[in-house]
Amino acid sequence: MGTVSVTETERVAFDRSFGALVRTETQSGIPVKVVYTPEDINHLKYERDLANPGEYPYTRGIYPEMYRNKLWIKSFLVGYTTPEETNKAFKQYIAAGQNGLRFPADLPVQTGIDPDHPLSWNSMLCGGCSTYALEVYEKMLDGLPLENIDYELSYSSISHSLFGYSSLVALMEKRGLNTANLRGNSINDPIRAKLVYESPDFPTEINRRVCEDLLEFGVKNTPKWYAFAPNSVDPQQMGMNAIQEVAECLGVAIAVYEDMIKQRGFKLDDFGATVFALDAESDFFETIAKFRAVRKMWAKIAKERLGATTPRAMSLRIGIRTSGLSLQTQKPLNNAARVTLQILSCVLGGVNSIDASSIDEAVGLPSYEARMFNLDTQHIITHEANVPLVADPLGGSYYLEWLTSKIEEGAYKLLEEIDSRDGMWECLESGWLKQQAEASRLKVQQEQSTGKRLIVGVNAFQGEEGPINKAVKGTAYKVPSKQARLRVIRAVKELRKRRNQPRIRDTLKELYQVAREGRNVVRPVIEAAKAGATIGEVVGVIRMAYNYDYDPLGEISEPAFISELIGG
Amino acid sequence: MANSKKQIRVVIGKVGCDIHERGAFALMQAFRDAGMEVVYTGRYQKPEAVVKRAIDERADVLALSDSTGSMRYIATDVMAALKKYKADNICVVAGGLIPPKDIPVLEKMGVTGNYGPGTSLDVIVNHVIGRVEKAAQNPSNKDHAK
Repeated sequence: MGTVSVTETERVAFDRSFGALVRTETQSGIPVKVVYTPEDINHLKYERDLANPGEYPYTRGIYPEMYRNKLWIKSFLVGYTTPEETNKAFKQYIAAGQNGLRFPADLPVQTGIDPDHPLSWNSMLCGGCSTYALEVYEKMLDGLPLENIDYELSYSSISHSLFGYSSLVALMEKRGLNTANLRGNSINDPIRAKLVYESPDFPTEINRRVCEDLLEFGVKNTPKWYAFAPNSVDPQQMGMNAIQEVAECLGVAIAVYEDMIKQRGFKLDDFGATVFALDAESDFFETIAKFRAVRKMWAKIAKERLGATTPRAMSLRIGIRTSGLSLQTQKPLNNAARVTLQILSCVLGGVNSIDASSIDEAVGLPSYEARMFNLDTQHIITHEANVPLVADPLGGSYYLEWLTSKIEEGAYKLLEEIDSRDGMWECLESGWLKQQAEASRLKVQQEQSTGKRLIVGVNAFQGEEGPINKAVKGTAYKVPSKQARLRVIRAVKELRKRRNQPRIRDTLKELYQVAREGRNVVRPVIEAAKAGATIGEVVGVIRMAYNYDYDPLGEISEPAFISELIGG
Repeated sequence: MANSKKQIRVVIGKVGCDIHERGAFALMQAFRDAGMEVVYTGRYQKPEAVVKRAIDERADVLALSDSTGSMRYIATDVMAALKKYKADNICVVAGGLIPPKDIPVLEKMGVTGNYGPGTSLDVIVNHVIGRVEKAAQNPSNKDHAK
């Protein structure tokens, strides 16, 4: 009987309860009843708590026509070894329906160091090509439109959010395009950068400033660009449950916007709409409820706490990354079922953009065909399953409405606690946010090891892998070779020799002075990028302006020309 | 846990700029639950730094964690550093995203385990215990890795 082992067949035959439910809680530990009835949603008033799609508080979606007018953006990271390879892949994926281009960057440049830094080698070209300078972006985007296409920057660090955005603007200016037509968003989340990544590039003091510089510059120069999109995908992946995820994301938005309002004199309305980057997890109904709850909460917080007056400022756009953590190496074909259900929960939850994980992602970097499967799954949900025809089709479900309220209630409680602990910046600094995530992570670990949480193929239903699963494992994208890594090191060294030396000195000196005086650093970074400055140099010079050492990792000292221009 | 046995000391090391550390945290707890003494180096470490840490902590085992697929490069540097500091009595085990074709290469270097995500924590704990027991009988790293 194929790959089913004899013992398993016998167990199915002899034990009627084999494979029965092992839990009565959602993934985030919300206990649930067998059935929900009208009594469970007595507290809800339709106009006040749900309202039609496109109406405050946007629980049911932010547009009246929802997906009939505009489907979600189909977006994903394309992270191949070379910019040329990435460029080719972007073009293929666009032809297959990708319409949100999510930029790759390898781990060292996201950390804020150059390819020839001593700590780069072991993770170089992992996660994408090494975008250490504008010329790499130029190659990556060769022949691709820069206007009116959605770009997404999901870098872990604030320094690379700065460098990536500046490179896009620099490229548009070089091509003579109007930067007002730059579309998309950047995560640029200063809490996540430390909470999840402990990103060493900048301390929080600089992260906070640079994040807000990007918002300020963006409003004036690239009004269709969301310069800040708080992300709780990664806090979720580090351990937070759905309720913590919602509170964390709202908390980050409140912290940054309150700075912009109180310290820089903006109104929330000035920023147009807000984008949150959220996670789609395996718990189907909880995930849908989470999207509905967070939209409703944002609308209220934007209006009542942050003073929004326009519908746009109160309507939350949700960008999704489906859970990488939920994907398993064991029997990877099963990941197709996981991702499909996660995408479906996103569509039922009315999200605005989806970056779906690939079935081979627990094995290696996604292969081309696995990416195509993601896109096709979305096309099937749209055109064969007809799911997006009707807005919020599950609205009114006793269970879903109850669960939406439950998440809302839990997240409000956490937000109150964050306030009572002096806000998000303090909760980051004190380690409280990390403790929250760690406690939830441990709970999951314990549940998994005691069989209270079953993961198919991992701690239950192991079975054997046949040729299909083996093929999935065999085709995942291969890790870049030693030669490929050496080529990048050579390229950055050549760039440093080739570029116009007086111009690089002038632009970096300007960046140093502007940063030192606490003025907005975005324009000087754009000019430095045009002159061929590398990510490591931009990070180092800004650090020095704040009296930190040039190298965030304390391995190298600043290049001689930089000590000269800063000293003189 | 037999009290007569010496407590196993483990350093979990992360080399390079890999950001994934959930595996390291899960193992830290599992090793502690098994009665071991565990130290985690944190991220953004150089190969030499994790080796020095293992030496300073008088570790029996250096457990390398990486989810970028670069374990063979990391292990090459770590094994060289262990040799340089004459510490190749420390057992090296690895886990994370390791391309299948790299596993024999790692085993040949003396790096064992090489477990992927989802491996039962008991399996990993038992492997570490087995490795240390073998090492006690046979102090050269190359031999007890086999």
